[in-house]
Amino acid sequence: MQKPHRILLDRVSAYADEAAAFMRRRRVARKPFARLYYAGGRSADHAQDSTAGAELFVAAGRLIEVTGKKKGAKG
Amino acid sequence: MTTVMIQEARARDTVGSFSQMPDAAAATVPSGESAQAALAFLAEMSPDLRGAAVLGPEGETLAVTSGESERWAEDAATLFAAADAAEDTAVEQVHIATEQGEVFAIRGEGLAAVAVTERFALASLLLFDLRSILRELAAGAR
Repeated sequence: MQKPHRILLDRVSAYADEAAAFMRRRRVARKPFARLYYAGGRSADHAQDSTAGAELFVAAGRLIEVTGKKKGAKG
Repeated sequence: MTTVMIQEARARDTVGSFSQMPDAAAATVPSGESAQAALAFLAEMSPDLRGAAVLGPEGETLAVTSGESERWAEDAATLFAAADAAEDTAVEQVHIATEQGEVFAIRGEGLAAVAVTERFALASLLLFDLRSILRELAAGAR
């Protein structure tokens, strides 16, 4: 029979593994998106290949350029 | 009751005197120092933040964390113009996630704020912080 503290540690460890796996899946699966929010709480997504979406991504890209390379980037 | 008072004032031609007062929007523009302090606080609170700017009512930069302020103003204007044109309606918030980073923009209290973060920043928290900054700047300027 396992000691009670071992059971607790295993449980916490399992939760941490689940959270890490969720973050890994999120990083892999999440695709670029452009989301606009309007008055009243309405929101609308615009795909990157739509006209509005393409303009939004270009504008966002220019702002990202202003801030320079991301932290930890080489070169 | 209020309506009656306004009508009485209009009847006495006193309402016309308001037109000689300084522009209301211009009177509530926060100072560059307070905007800079707000951005410093935001940078402290948001480890994922790469850069941000606070813009005034005319789209001019009041403060930036880094980079050229003119470039921030120009690119923020382009972003808001593209966002407004998407549905021919003025947007309140913008969130764009790309492979290189994420961009958040928000309008409120006659001001605007734009922030660039690392990927996977917590959107709701950042938007909340940006909204709070604009609200506090506007309140401080009154």
